[in-house]
Amino acid sequence: MLSNVAMKQVSDVLWEIPPSYKPGMRVPARIYANRELLEAMDRIVFEQVTNVACLPGIIRYSYAMADAHWGYGFPIGGVAAFDVEKGVISPGGIGFDINCGMRLLRTNLRFGEVKPKVRELVDLLFQLVPAGVGVKGTQRFAETQFEEITKWGVKWCAEHDLAWEDDPSHVEEGGYIKGAEPSKVSGQAKSRGISQFGTLGSGNHYLEIQVVDPARHFDPVLAQHFGIVHEDQVVVMIHCGSRGFGHQIATDYVRNFEGGMKRAGIQVRDRELASLPFNSREGQDYYGAMACAANFAFVNRQVIVQKIREAFGRVFHRDPEALDMHLVYDVCHNIAKVERHTYDGSTVEAIVHRKGATRSFGPGHPDIPPPYRSVGQPVIIGGSMETGSYLLVGTQRAMEETFGSTAHGSGRTMSRTAAKKSIRGHDLQKKMQEKGIYVKAATMDGLAEEAGMAYKDISQVVETMDRAGISKKVVALRPIGNVKG
Amino acid sequence: MPFRFLDNVAIADVAFEARGRTLPALFESCARALTEVMVDRRSVRPRKVERITLTSDSTENLLYDFLTDLIIRKDVESILFKEFLVSLDKSGRKLKCVARGELIDRKRHRLRNDVKAVTTHLFGIKRSDKGFSATVVLDI
Repeated sequence: MLSNVAMKQVSDVLWEIPPSYKPGMRVPARIYANRELLEAMDRIVFEQVTNVACLPGIIRYSYAMADAHWGYGFPIGGVAAFDVEKGVISPGGIGFDINCGMRLLRTNLRFGEVKPKVRELVDLLFQLVPAGVGVKGTQRFAETQFEEITKWGVKWCAEHDLAWEDDPSHVEEGGYIKGAEPSKVSGQAKSRGISQFGTLGSGNHYLEIQVVDPARHFDPVLAQHFGIVHEDQVVVMIHCGSRGFGHQIATDYVRNFEGGMKRAGIQVRDRELASLPFNSREGQDYYGAMACAANFAFVNRQVIVQKIREAFGRVFHRDPEALDMHLVYDVCHNIAKVERHTYDGSTVEAIVHRKGATRSFGPGHPDIPPPYRSVGQPVIIGGSMETGSYLLVGTQRAMEETFGSTAHGSGRTMSRTAAKKSIRGHDLQKKMQEKGIYVKAATMDGLAEEAGMAYKDISQVVETMDRAGISKKVVALRPIGNVKG
Repeated sequence: MPFRFLDNVAIADVAFEARGRTLPALFESCARALTEVMVDRRSVRPRKVERITLTSDSTENLLYDFLTDLIIRKDVESILFKEFLVSLDKSGRKLKCVARGELIDRKRHRLRNDVKAVTTHLFGIKRSDKGFSATVVLDI
């Protein structure tokens, strides 16, 4: 795979493609991977990460994380920071599902207490959280109310009795991105959003009951900081985003950007790399619309968390507060944000694009909530339904090397059709039950498509990021119950 | 079938190639392929009629907008279609479609994937001696 790519080895988990690789590269590309992951990486990732390196205003490097795979324009697992004055913003650098992300909720329950109730919990969650094709949301809103939601994110939830007091501070950016401009969002996008409030979605989106894996409790002291105090403690993970709302905004702006690029004389190597100067009118309009989608995604995950708290309360006949169902954290993995970063002694203000990549801020950063500030930001990495997930922590090294960024998950290696040919949904459900994982899915075809064998081995991805030092392992989480959209 | 799914394109998503002897037939094939991704069309009954009218600046963008319109209707009106009758004006930039389908019924419809967007990756219409073909990649 690598023979035709002039690649320099920086360390055993870091590789660099110099600007001489292709005309127009403004900075080198850097790929975090061990040799095995690198060998297995789709060659197109090298083309995409170097295409991104050609975009105006890019700073330092174009990055691909250990889970990088082909994406539209930018690779998934891609990070790029652009100068706010001279650089661009690109919908393709964020992804269609704006602010798709991960949220981790803890409980004070132990595995032994939850095991006999998993089926009841999953069945109730499946009933309370709408999932699947064309499903309607839990509440309807007038357009003006919906605009308020997209403007204020989790702050809106706090004012409408849909959040606990410490929820907003345990969400990246406090659960709302400043600068949201509902007037820059099309009516079609709003209609899609209004009808999907509080829905899980489908594809690879899920909510999962998990238990800390005692054999892979890597850093018990750090885990305690995040409220994980037992070796077999039960937690709940949510993976979803801005649903049709964010997708429609991306669709609308990829088209808008094409017109703007013609006018500005900007040429890119791939239609999906559509980009415009961040400080142009169109660039700012997109940012305002994107922030609305990001805020909607935060709200969506928040509303789902409230349903999870309700379900646990009902099944265990206890107040969710008494079950200590506080947020560990909520991270975005499809987003662009204005951040200040310091490297090599200089400070820059950059619009940092993370597409299938997670913020990984290290200890002391003011954006980390006070209870975690001394140790670093929790990083939540979702694996496939079968292989499990990880809780990690951000590092100072990530601040110095990657604009405070790390990987996001595992990434597919098998097409949806191939997965369906390999295993039937019902068989997979049975197989997972034998392994102690009770799954309820909106469709059996959809379940088969998400089989563990269709994904990269997440452990290798996590080990690589840990070894590179841009996030450190805290605990591994093993699934016991799953609701799949 | 006037369409086939492409396994090795966009493995996290779904890609298809559709064909039609004429442009309206190509549009209809694409609409059927899109619907098949979301539901087994055999389980959908043609009970509700919707008339879709669209204008765009090129035939390719018109196809893109038409498929996007069907995705929006799925999300906003919860409707999936079984049949499509498309007509285009001479310029290939104006479309009228009579689509017949019904509201989503979770018990009766064999639902599949929730399509969220049409991407521009490889998107395009090609002319051949047998008519027209289009490649479409859908974001799942």
